[in-house]
Amino acid sequence: MGQPCVEFSTSILTQIVVILMMGELLAVLTGLLAGTLTGIVPGAGVLVAMIIATPLLMGFDIIQLLLFYMSLASMVQFTGTIPAVYLGIPGETNSLPAVVEGTKFTKRAKAKLAIGISALGSVLGSLIAVLITFVLISVLINHVSMFFANTLKFYLYVFIIIFCLTVYNRGNILVNAPLCLLGFALSMPGESDITPGFRYTFGMEDMQFGVPLITVLIGLLIVPTAFSMLKYDIKRNIDADHNIPFKYTFFYFIRKCIPSSLRGSVIGYLCGFVPGVSTVLATNASYSVEKKLSKKTPARLLVASETANNSGQFASMLPLLLIGIPITGSEVVLYSLLVDAGWSPFQFDRVDLNAEIIFKTIVPWFVFANLVGLLVAWPLAKKTLAILSLPTKYMVVVLVASMLILNSYLGYIDYRLGFYSVCLIVFVITGYFLKKYETIPLIFMFILGNEIEAVFLRQWLI
Amino acid sequence: MKNIIIAIVLCCFASTTLAETITILNNGKVGGSFNARSQMYKDGLEARGFQVEFENIGKIGQAVKIFKETDKPTIMVYSTNQVYKQDLFHTQDNFVLLEYEQPMWICKTLDSLDKSGKVTVAHGKGYETDIIKKVLGTDIVLVPYKNSSAILNGILAGDVDAAVNNQGKSLKYEASGQGTCEASSVLPVMQATVIGKNIDVKQMREVLLAVTYDDKFANYHSSRKLARPTASAEQELQNINQKQKGWKIN
Repeated sequence: MGQPCVEFSTSILTQIVVILMMGELLAVLTGLLAGTLTGIVPGAGVLVAMIIATPLLMGFDIIQLLLFYMSLASMVQFTGTIPAVYLGIPGETNSLPAVVEGTKFTKRAKAKLAIGISALGSVLGSLIAVLITFVLISVLINHVSMFFANTLKFYLYVFIIIFCLTVYNRGNILVNAPLCLLGFALSMPGESDITPGFRYTFGMEDMQFGVPLITVLIGLLIVPTAFSMLKYDIKRNIDADHNIPFKYTFFYFIRKCIPSSLRGSVIGYLCGFVPGVSTVLATNASYSVEKKLSKKTPARLLVASETANNSGQFASMLPLLLIGIPITGSEVVLYSLLVDAGWSPFQFDRVDLNAEIIFKTIVPWFVFANLVGLLVAWPLAKKTLAILSLPTKYMVVVLVASMLILNSYLGYIDYRLGFYSVCLIVFVITGYFLKKYETIPLIFMFILGNEIEAVFLRQWLI
Repeated sequence: MKNIIIAIVLCCFASTTLAETITILNNGKVGGSFNARSQMYKDGLEARGFQVEFENIGKIGQAVKIFKETDKPTIMVYSTNQVYKQDLFHTQDNFVLLEYEQPMWICKTLDSLDKSGKVTVAHGKGYETDIIKKVLGTDIVLVPYKNSSAILNGILAGDVDAAVNNQGKSLKYEASGQGTCEASSVLPVMQATVIGKNIDVKQMREVLLAVTYDDKFANYHSSRKLARPTASAEQELQNINQKQKGWKIN
């Protein structure tokens, strides 16, 4: 009698596991697809991809959101190298060293070798990042309550503000300061983190729920991005490339690039924790160090920077995954989606659980995503690049239409369609005038403004 | 045979039309008490033959807006600490039941017990600060936090010497061994309720009261040490209208 019952329970359990795995696989595959497209489309980035995918992400649970983001961000590090090397166009902001060193290979019709060693270095960088985390995780968990301290958050946010003021728009504070202020002002209406009731609603009921995030992101981030996409005149010189065997590439990497790759992994991992810049800093710091060590070896320079990129990407997710502090623009958007999905990382008793999620759920899929990345960015690089054969103007039209539909859909389900539409018009016009500038400081301050205000007030009171 | 088939089909249609449809506005987020309670009411109503349309709103403000505008039979879990902020009060027309009530607690860190000078006190952004001063004295520095989880983290991280928090988070803090907590008889009491619209509130009260005695609900209440008052609907409403004044926003 007991046997069939056990079998029945096991079968149900198996089915539940299969369903959960399917949900996770769906999130990973969509993340990988989005990452492939984002990496090769010039000017696009993880942040833009997150915004475009919002309707899909709203239906995801917490684990699916984390897996989607992880797959997307990992894949972008792989595919961003393809246009950088073949076309001399940075797919992501952190692909600049790949542009400089990759084009040296392309001129000698050896782009495929550059792509291959970059992809191998990226996988190695990711695996080393996982290994370092595994060794250090218990130290992080034991000291995690210090991360809850208001003082720590205060200094972290001071750093982010200084970073926003001094890094973007060529460090022009006169441009960055008004952008930060505008972002902060937009974060004010609606509910505050420290005062009861609603504020700055100007008598509008719709304002009680604040300025819609999506309208700000579309108007002030996507619109300038779309204009920058129009600037590119993509010249394809793929056909001239030599066909270099995989075996040759693999042994070339083993013989010449391993030390650079290991150095890049460690430098990238450490830089990955720096708020706002993580992978950009990781790539450029590793590139600079390698330049001093292996001056005239483009392969080592390329591998060091690309390895650091992937290692830094994994490290940059840890503050968010462990203690709920987003440190990059795209993580801020992810954070807001996670909170909407019911995530509460600040729970005292959930840090162990967060660490468990990292190693039991995220890491296996992270390894899988890296293997797919290796495949897409190396043997399938030319086929991946064929997506760019679609004229840029059409891509922009598709992007604009998608954004309009997205805004209307989100406005409808938020019962504020009219308000969303008005905000979109206002921010698109503003975005047009800001098209020459990097608007990331504004986005940062808009999303984190309320939290920063609360942390600063508490620091003053304490 | 033909008649039997027609009869079966008619029975199916009849059962479908007889099943009462009700909307539950889930105004809580996963992991929160509003969400957990909404889910349990959904399960309980479905088990009693209701057809439940479960709408995940996630934000209390948005849910209240929909509640005010809806013309469908709808219920929603609610609490007295929200009434002034949301401008939605318990009335004879919308009040269904008082599910439980819990006092506010005051926790103090072990280090602060001997402290001289100003004491820093964490509190929720919506709490009436004058009452806190009445309880803890005027020589305190009030430090506002977004919600009960943030208050708990603040006191655990050593940001503050004391905290005014709800029962669940206070018991959690006590369990960490870093300080002591006690229930306050002066601070306002938080009452968890259910409100409804476009329904027969008396009939719904009977059904939902039965739901709250289901195992799931009973475990939920006992594990959190939540007190369940037993009184008539009129007495409960009177009790709520009296105690909710403590949550008035200045």
